[in-house]
Amino acid sequence: MQRQIPLVITFLAGTVMIMQYFIPHWPFSALQQLFNRWYLVIAVFAMILGIGNLVKVHWQRLYRRKSGWWYSVVLLLALGVMGIAGIGGGIERGTFFYYLYWNMYIPMSSTMFALLAFFVASASYRAFRARTTEASLLLGAAILVMLGRVPLGNYLWDKFPLVGEWIMDYPNMAGQRAIMIGIALGVVSTSLRIILGIERTYLAGK
Amino acid sequence: MSETVGIWIAALLTLGIFSFLYKDNPLYKFCEHLFVGISLGYYIAYYYHNGVIPKLYFPLVRQHNYFYIIPAFLGFLYFSRFVRKYAYLSRWPMAFVLGAGSGLSVPAIIQARIIRQMQGTMIDTITFSSIVMVVGVLATLSYFFFSREHKGFLKIASGMGIVYIMVGFGATFGYTVMARVSLLIGRAQFLLKDWLGIID
Amino acid sequence: MATAVVSSTLSVPNRDSVASEPPVPPREVVARDKPNDSGGSILVSWERSADDGGGRESVTEYRIFRSTPGGTFESIGSARKGVEEFADVQTIDGTEYLYVVRAFDGVSLSPPSTSEVVVSSAQWFHTGRTNILVGGVVLSFFVLWFIRKAKRGEELYIRPIAGLEAVDEAVGRATEMGRPIMYIPGIMDMDNIQTIASMVILGRVARKAAEYETPLLVPTSRSIVMSAAQETVKEAYLDAGRPDAYDSDKIMYLTDDQFGYAAGVDGLMLREKPATIFYMGCFYAESLILAETGHSTGAIQIAGTAMPSQLPFFVTACDYTLIGEELFAASAYLSKEPLLLGSLKGQDWGKAIFIALLVGGIVLVSLGFTRIIEWLATG
Repeated sequence: MQRQIPLVITFLAGTVMIMQYFIPHWPFSALQQLFNRWYLVIAVFAMILGIGNLVKVHWQRLYRRKSGWWYSVVLLLALGVMGIAGIGGGIERGTFFYYLYWNMYIPMSSTMFALLAFFVASASYRAFRARTTEASLLLGAAILVMLGRVPLGNYLWDKFPLVGEWIMDYPNMAGQRAIMIGIALGVVSTSLRIILGIERTYLAGK
Repeated sequence: MSETVGIWIAALLTLGIFSFLYKDNPLYKFCEHLFVGISLGYYIAYYYHNGVIPKLYFPLVRQHNYFYIIPAFLGFLYFSRFVRKYAYLSRWPMAFVLGAGSGLSVPAIIQARIIRQMQGTMIDTITFSSIVMVVGVLATLSYFFFSREHKGFLKIASGMGIVYIMVGFGATFGYTVMARVSLLIGRAQFLLKDWLGIID
Repeated sequence: MATAVVSSTLSVPNRDSVASEPPVPPREVVARDKPNDSGGSILVSWERSADDGGGRESVTEYRIFRSTPGGTFESIGSARKGVEEFADVQTIDGTEYLYVVRAFDGVSLSPPSTSEVVVSSAQWFHTGRTNILVGGVVLSFFVLWFIRKAKRGEELYIRPIAGLEAVDEAVGRATEMGRPIMYIPGIMDMDNIQTIASMVILGRVARKAAEYETPLLVPTSRSIVMSAAQETVKEAYLDAGRPDAYDSDKIMYLTDDQFGYAAGVDGLMLREKPATIFYMGCFYAESLILAETGHSTGAIQIAGTAMPSQLPFFVTACDYTLIGEELFAASAYLSKEPLLLGSLKGQDWGKAIFIALLVGGIVLVSLGFTRIIEWLATG
């Protein structure tokens, strides 16, 4: 019995959400917004659990003086200070929270994002040593599109931009379309299995 | 004054994250743990001010909209996992999120990824490009046939499909490279201009 | 048609308007209930005044008035010249309304053009979305049909998928090297189908890890996903007969923040040095950061995602990549469960029908039957 109730909840929630797409009449019209609200509330409770987990892991590391425990101090302090500053002092411009946000969070976040430039370079370098036909195709297309987007390419041959654009609009688009269609079929199939309880390993075992 | 301090902090943290490229080192470890802590603290404060207060506290406590007890109760059930006897109840909120999420995605994805794609591929003029497109869609689709062995005609078709897929991946790759490089330029500008004042 | 008194709630500017005549009124004012909505809305449309875009070209805007039969007209809004439609979004369902549209030239209003009586209501079915309903029903039919067929014991074939064939080998490698397996379920939450698919695959991977007694690390970016992952892995260890080997601390939450998570996982990778890394689920820009870092540790990497924008990066950095639909096929593939294999066959039929419709549609369109494209457009 206790294994059945979650499946019933899943079935009802899923069916109702599918129906609301086709029924403009109230109460169905309000359902999507209702789900978003409820989901937010549930996520907040779950977040308490998540934070608890993180704090527990790092507290244990600190308590038991495991190697690198001082970094856990940094993490817990940062979490505490930022969280309390934000909740207590507000998150607008001019608050202490905002100062930390602007001078710590933003620079680190942007730098992580910027790391991608290096990673793209290292990935491309590996791809240059293309050993399979597939890798060569990928590389070739990448080079053509890149040349089409860079002033250097235009300088070398004024048709590069057109070639690059054509590749994006036709063969690339064709492949993307088919991949998307396959994904959609997979999503529908998986959702059906979840809603009907055919796929249940995560929820009720076996 | 605090602005200068702020810029120095930002610059040192930027370099700290960049040092990751060299290898795992104490400065990066410090920045990493700081970043995880700060980002989580940020989200906590953000969800508090934009989620909990306006969307849970106000309706429930101020406006006495008791309907909100239901999601609050479901969320609370998450904590039941700590009590062995009632631990199974923690599956209920999960079941709701899973079911509703699945249900919401089905019609939307049929519209956006099947119907709309069919619309886009139904060409009305026959040109070299449009034939390339249609052949590509058909070939790539055939690559994804799971329940049949790829022999004979299907093998040729799916082989062509892989060609299209790889060309598509390469194109996406090349397309995003420039965007990534400009991010790097942005950071370099911050370090050289705002922090060190070497360039204007 | 009821006649109503038009009350002048607008003040006409005190100018010498004797000499200039008011503009020609708009014609054919039609008011109808807005279709496919939850009520409260009426669409008013008309044909332009002869003095708009022609004639004296004096019209600057149209003014729309509304009343109930026998009541007074009130102004409810205006539309620019050249526009021939107005949406009244503040109606009460079931109440009768009348609309009047008058052209305005900056000085005076045209004589009124009145509509028939109209009532707004909510609809029970969104007719503009019929095509999606049809598509969904057909698809579901095939999926369920083949699931049923599989239940009756029919043998179903599934073609080899390289990335999934390699799972056993990858887990074995970690066991031999005495290093952990890392499983990264993407950065989106449990309401995302890719994450759901990822949890199912995690269950299968965890089962193998439990059998070989290889440690399994699962860093998550969402708290709900952390809970789901813990449940999944715990069940897997139970199924494998090793409930005591389950360590809930190995499934950890880091942060909701995209790059904070990436920084944390990178650090974890460099320190724990996993021999095998799985990336399964919904990823965004952080995908390459994770995959490249993982590659630098020498781990064998198997990725799977339905995010077309991130696939190229996984393909270049990982040893095996599941492309789009292959991610959703993984659960059937790894378990070989007949019901799941049946649903895959249904998906294949969905593709076959799509191909047939596409080819048929192209033929029809090139012969001039463009109706089919209209039917595909959604309201």
